[in-house]
Amino acid sequence: MTDSYIPRGQAASAENTAGRRTDLRSRGEPALWSLGGALALGIIMILGFLALVFSNGIATFIPKPIAVVTETGGQVTAGEPFRSESFRPTVEEVATLPPDWQARIKSAGGMVNRTLYRMGNFDVYGEDFRWVADYAVAKREFPANMVFVERMEWGPFIGTVKALTIDGNAQPFKSIEDPVFLQAHQQALDRADDIRDIERGRIGDINHRLENERLALRKVELAEGRTSAAYRDAQDRLNTLSVTLQRDYDALAAEVTKLREASARNTLTLAAVGGEEKTIEFAALVRIYPANDLGFWGKVGVYLSRWGEFLGGEPREANTEGGVFPAIFGTAAMTLLMVLVVAPFGVITALYLREYAKQGRLVSFVRISVNNLAGVPSIVYGVFGLGFFAYVLGGSIDALFYPERLPSPTFGTGGLLWSALTLALLTVPVVIVATEEALAAVPRSMREGSLACGASKWQTIKYIVLPRAMPGVMTGVILAMARGAGEVAPLMLVGVVKLAPELPIDGIFPFVHLERSFMHLGFHIFDVGFQSRNAEAGKPMVFVTTVLLIALVTIVNAAAIILRSRLKRRFAGSQF
Amino acid sequence: MLKKFVSAAAVMGALTTSALALDVDPALKDYKKLSGVEGSMKSVGSDTLNNVMALWAEGFKKEYPSVKIEVEGKGSGTAPPALIGGTAQFGPMSRPMKSGEIDDFEKKYGYKPAALRVAVDALAVFVNKDNPIKCLSIAQIDAMFSKTRKRGGKADIKTWGDLGLTGEWASKPISLYGRNSASGTYGYFKEAAMGDGDFKDSVKEQPGSSAVVQGIASDKYAIGYSGVGYKTADVRIVPLSSKDGGTCFDASADNAYAGDYPITRFIYMYMNAKPGTKVDPLRAEFSKYVLSKQGQMGVIKDGFYPIPSAIASQDLKTIGAE
Repeated sequence: MTDSYIPRGQAASAENTAGRRTDLRSRGEPALWSLGGALALGIIMILGFLALVFSNGIATFIPKPIAVVTETGGQVTAGEPFRSESFRPTVEEVATLPPDWQARIKSAGGMVNRTLYRMGNFDVYGEDFRWVADYAVAKREFPANMVFVERMEWGPFIGTVKALTIDGNAQPFKSIEDPVFLQAHQQALDRADDIRDIERGRIGDINHRLENERLALRKVELAEGRTSAAYRDAQDRLNTLSVTLQRDYDALAAEVTKLREASARNTLTLAAVGGEEKTIEFAALVRIYPANDLGFWGKVGVYLSRWGEFLGGEPREANTEGGVFPAIFGTAAMTLLMVLVVAPFGVITALYLREYAKQGRLVSFVRISVNNLAGVPSIVYGVFGLGFFAYVLGGSIDALFYPERLPSPTFGTGGLLWSALTLALLTVPVVIVATEEALAAVPRSMREGSLACGASKWQTIKYIVLPRAMPGVMTGVILAMARGAGEVAPLMLVGVVKLAPELPIDGIFPFVHLERSFMHLGFHIFDVGFQSRNAEAGKPMVFVTTVLLIALVTIVNAAAIILRSRLKRRFAGSQF
Repeated sequence: MLKKFVSAAAVMGALTTSALALDVDPALKDYKKLSGVEGSMKSVGSDTLNNVMALWAEGFKKEYPSVKIEVEGKGSGTAPPALIGGTAQFGPMSRPMKSGEIDDFEKKYGYKPAALRVAVDALAVFVNKDNPIKCLSIAQIDAMFSKTRKRGGKADIKTWGDLGLTGEWASKPISLYGRNSASGTYGYFKEAAMGDGDFKDSVKEQPGSSAVVQGIASDKYAIGYSGVGYKTADVRIVPLSSKDGGTCFDASADNAYAGDYPITRFIYMYMNAKPGTKVDPLRAEFSKYVLSKQGQMGVIKDGFYPIPSAIASQDLKTIGAE
């Protein structure tokens, strides 16, 4: 009974206030709280996601110390401690342990810690990671002479430097800062650059010219037949050209061989912790650093140089190492091309719908259809792009303009152009809707003023309506761009590949190669995350690439937002 | 299929495999660079082979810097249409072509596609690293993964207790991981381990071979199949026996070559080559590179097992590239 007892006076006042106050629901308090709560939840989720991606991505390139662990069984493991977790060893395993460990495990509720070490040396051990349980550790040290070696092939090597050979002569190894060592490494890198220049640039050029001549011959053959005089001329031309080019090629190839031989005389012998030795050329050395003997600035140096390689380098070892420059380039090129297509198309469509079309059932129907387009799953656009753009359009282009290259397709397969068009199709509803809104928001009085001054309808649109709608149009384009840069699923069908041999824009005429397939950061994330041999080693790369993709989208968006605010400012003063 | 070549390989006595690092058959030829090889080519096919194709492409480009190779890998099923349509010169597949696919090819060209066996893959059954299971028979695997149980398992296996594990494991349900149906690994496992039975609906289909391993790494009660090369420190490969109660064999290279390990397969690279004629130099050289010492080192690097030289020279003959 005590629960329901309310002193008389208080009960009366409660009734009074209830009578005077409005209902809680109509005051909007709960709505305010739930709206605020939803916003907070959204922000927390986004921040949490960004924190996860950035903390993992930014930490990846920090050089870690190398531990040398001697196990009670005698096995020695050298590696970077990668991560730790606690686990429950089996009863049989616990029974074999010394009594003090048994007691410790028992007091911890049967749980014990273990650490994953990244051992590297895949070519020596056949595996690159190893778990070591705490109770198996007899000794754990961080010797100063351990080096972490990043190689062009086979992933990292962890061990010590045994010997070095420079110009065929054995040299005593002093330290990594030894000028002899540094000079040998720098020379090897320069030589590798030279080889690359010759192979990619000059030999590539020779091949390109030869290929063009061969295609010209094939074209003549298709047009005039094998017996015509023109065909014989073309054949002669090809023959003379190939003789001279072959001579050039041989000279360049000899140069490369010489460089390679010089390279092979400078080697480095490394020893793993178990004594296994590996001899590698200086040219195969990407980076070497004494992981346990690295000061703060040394760490910063390694960290920055890794980022530099990642941003500017080409992928190695089936994309799990090296850089992602081709993917950055491909993503940016594709997104910009998409904007070039989607912006005019979207704006023109919206202009017609809003300004010229007679508002009726048909226009509403078109508008509904456009809105519905935005809800179609993106993979459907991919299928459409492949079926219509690549096979139908591209196939006809090939048949008409590149018959000499058939059966290998030029435009008849996925490529940069088809990807950009597919994504333009995917994002065009966004631009149309945003532009229509922006056009509708231009005050009627301004149009009427313009018309009253004697301007035609088109002049009104061009000089009065469009400039004022521009910030809204930009918003639509920004949204489209953000959506396009992050979209991967349709691209997998229409032109993104794991390994593209060339960039879509280069120094060879016609400079922009719309038919080439390209690499994309989003696909790179999928590929490294789900397809690479070593999932453990691939994971950090996934985070780094994600950070990069987010950064790229942010930069592009920020640029567009700055442009928009400039536009807004320009018209801010001219309004009433 | 593998067993046929065991004798050949054994006679040659050439397979040296150590417990740790694998080595290629020393009888395999070193790749020798020719002059005048150029052009561009594209490979479309298996995603299991994506990495090794990329490694081969990198290595081949080192020999011939001007050659352009594009690699696209979205599943073995995408290889035959690409070869038939002429959009790709090479079709790497993690399973042999089905007769229907070969028929389609033959309808267009009048001959069958040429197949190179480029690697040996032991399909491993992975469990979490803490899983104490010692050995599994094919019938047990079938009873776990399949709802039709064509391998003669008597009862459905749902929990780890059904496989004889005790303690905390006994009552825990088995969580199944596998590949999506476009994958050759999916098709091969279905055929070799389940006698073409149907997968249970509860199998979590993953988009990539390493996604299967990652799934098992983070799910303590999981089991799944994937290529042996995708092993990480977080998972363990279960030794398999072909019969209930039979000897269990680890998925090692030796057991794979000897045919003792029950789910071993060749990995193929298909191409459009008219029988009895020589293929063009570019494709011939690439095939030779793949089946050379250098190419097979790439196979090891990606975690597959290399091909014995007897098979390599036999297959190269079929495309006139020997």
